[in-house]
Amino acid sequence: MTRLRSLAPGVALGLLLIDVVGMLVLSVVRPQFLSTYNLFVTGRDLSILLLVALAQMVVLSLGQMNLSIGSIGGLVAIIESGLMVRYGVPVPVALATGLVLGIVCGVINGLLVYWTKINSFVLTLGTSYVFAGINLGITHATPFYHIPNEISSFGQARVGPFPLMAAVTIVLTLLLAGFLYQVVLGRQLLAAGGNPLAARLSGLPIRRTTLTAHAISGFLAAVAGTMLMAQLGQGQPTIGATWVLPSFAGPIIGGASLAGGSAPVLGTVLAMVLISLIDDGLVLVSADPFWVQFLIGALILGAVVLGRTRLSDIRAFLRISTTRLGGTTR
Amino acid sequence: MSAEPNPTTPEVRLEVSGIRKQFPGVVALDDVSLRLRAGEIHALLGENGAGKSTLIKILTGVYQPDEGEIRLDGSPVRFASPRSALAAGISVVHQERNLIPQFTVAENILLERIPTRGVQLVDHAAINRLARPWIEMVGLDAAPATPVAELSVAQMQLVEIAKALSLQARILLMDEPTAAITPHEVGYLFRILGDLRRHNVALVFVSHKLEEVFELCDRVTVLRDGRNAAADVAVATLNRDQLVTYMIGRAEVIAELPPKPAAGEPVLAVAGLTTNGGHAALSLVLRKGEVLGLYGLVGAGRSSLAKTLVGEIKATGGEVRVRGAITHIKSFREALEKYRFGYVSEDRKQEGLILLHSVRVNTSITIWRHLRSFGQWITRSKEDAAILPSIRELDVKAHSLSQSVGTLSGGNQQKVSIAKWLAAKAEILIIDEPTVGIDIKTKNALHELIWDLAANGKSILLISSDMPEVIRLSDRILVMRNHAIVGELLNTHQYDEMSEAIMARLS
Repeated sequence: MTRLRSLAPGVALGLLLIDVVGMLVLSVVRPQFLSTYNLFVTGRDLSILLLVALAQMVVLSLGQMNLSIGSIGGLVAIIESGLMVRYGVPVPVALATGLVLGIVCGVINGLLVYWTKINSFVLTLGTSYVFAGINLGITHATPFYHIPNEISSFGQARVGPFPLMAAVTIVLTLLLAGFLYQVVLGRQLLAAGGNPLAARLSGLPIRRTTLTAHAISGFLAAVAGTMLMAQLGQGQPTIGATWVLPSFAGPIIGGASLAGGSAPVLGTVLAMVLISLIDDGLVLVSADPFWVQFLIGALILGAVVLGRTRLSDIRAFLRISTTRLGGTTR
Repeated sequence: MSAEPNPTTPEVRLEVSGIRKQFPGVVALDDVSLRLRAGEIHALLGENGAGKSTLIKILTGVYQPDEGEIRLDGSPVRFASPRSALAAGISVVHQERNLIPQFTVAENILLERIPTRGVQLVDHAAINRLARPWIEMVGLDAAPATPVAELSVAQMQLVEIAKALSLQARILLMDEPTAAITPHEVGYLFRILGDLRRHNVALVFVSHKLEEVFELCDRVTVLRDGRNAAADVAVATLNRDQLVTYMIGRAEVIAELPPKPAAGEPVLAVAGLTTNGGHAALSLVLRKGEVLGLYGLVGAGRSSLAKTLVGEIKATGGEVRVRGAITHIKSFREALEKYRFGYVSEDRKQEGLILLHSVRVNTSITIWRHLRSFGQWITRSKEDAAILPSIRELDVKAHSLSQSVGTLSGGNQQKVSIAKWLAAKAEILIIDEPTVGIDIKTKNALHELIWDLAANGKSILLISSDMPEVIRLSDRILVMRNHAIVGELLNTHQYDEMSEAIMARLS
């Protein structure tokens, strides 16, 4: 229990409750929620978006942000599919190249932030245009079709309702949690996020922590891009274009502080489950497709606000109302 | 503010009684009372954690009391927010400066009611015109259009007072106003506070320096463990020992520091050190097992000297030898890893600690590298085993190692910032203003601790503008002024003699 608290203090329990209630309600109102196919599709989206959210969380824990997660994912998918389709590069080589490219993009972000000391918001907004621009220049907005079968079939593979992709996400999530909480460099990263000055004056390597956080972010974005490419069965230039909101919503609903120093892995996982439920729920109740984006935006905003309302705030609110009712004041 | 004559029996302006405030797990205040009169300076004393800050926050509407009553001019009031306390004429000058550094003096004074003209355009001329009388009233020697960032700490304090006065403050709370300013500036501040007293303001003065209380204050209320140890007592009827007994619950015993072995060979030798910050050809020697005091006023260049020694600021000339070998320390990491420096920063909240994180993290942060097993993994048991000796040696008071340091008292925070260097086995400790804002009991404990560290062979460069502290602890004292060392004194530990010698070097 204390373990759980240290992973996602306070927020996680509330989120868990909301998730469970949400699932129950959905399965009662729309029994097809529990169908193997629906669970598979939802689980697959979740597997990808969770990596996107964790890519943001690791940078947020440093007190910075990464607006180029989506364009890294897109660029990586394009390069991988291009290598395989256009040049016949073997699958493992192409994928390895893509993942390394993701890390390189992240390191570029990290170096820029470290060297220039300019706010990461502006810098990664800039690099996101650069990465997306390379993507567009290569593809002219045309997808690379017919990627090798082993990739696209991985995108459809499942064990019962569980997408095979989920295994990748689960392993990466556990590795990330272990890294941040128990590994020296991960600890240093959190410390540097909590108070950069104190961390430096304690002898911590600030450059290494900055580069590591951004490199991990780039790597996770690359994996997410690769998985979406596998799911779509083609190298779509638009991969990652819609990732900005979920990347922030996950960690923030999950309890991350924008000021840095906290890395709520469990909270982020549970928050992404919630976002997937919202997403899936709207499909299941056949919401007007043209209004779905509005609804998703509104519901996620609602969840962000709700996720930030701590139990103590509610209690304080109730106490104030009771004293007012008691008529002792004013 | 009208200059009415001070009435013979001053009216009670604010009366607080039976205040209780509970936080999860602790009762911060229990049945506390406080009575403030117009035209009086009321000292509010207590050790760290005694409840002074909580009481001030209740008076200023930040917290609401669970029980008890506040009467303003005889009628009961309740401050739901800081705004409503301000509206009732209660202002506070905080320890943490509440000014916006980029804004001008005048803008800061009129922050909540910036004058405008036309369609909400800021009227800069009016801001400066309206602020000027308040600036003059506190005797601040700066133009209204000066950015606050360019002022000294003492001047910023005057801006805060000017701001409070401009809000028609009838009750002014001063939270440790003298903690960070020079003796000369303290004298000036006291004159201003005396003026305010004559103008019938009710003043509350929070300080750890009892000499100031006797010099300035009329009455005193002492808190101990969240209760009144003394309530509304005339200062003139007390002596220092009685006051200390109220504060710590027993008579103060300043233990004679035990003899310690003579200092050994030089571990740090600086010759001709020059920096861009203004240090020119500065030399000093620190020996093994020695406490070398570096006394000087704020701004004398002591902290920047310390930061130069640990590689935070670049030296432009001169020679630094550590244990005989010439060094060019380029980063703090190198200072720690290679030369075993430890640096306890003056500003523990900004530079020393990660307030959000646990005692464990803040102590072990310097040694994570050495704790890893299986490649990179750190186990909690190994971590705790490594830091517990230091935590115990310094007697850090925390519920558990997982408590976040932000919730510890100032003294315990300071102990954590020292403990991490003990854990890292630092040999040369640079300790900058270790007891600013720390109460008597903890201060003594920290003094004994620093002494013990030196007795056990650590070399300590003690930077302080607290003269009794320097004279109590140092083997030798360097006096610093305008970025230069203007005197080196062998300490006899005789206060009168030494303080005179130091002052002679400073003038």
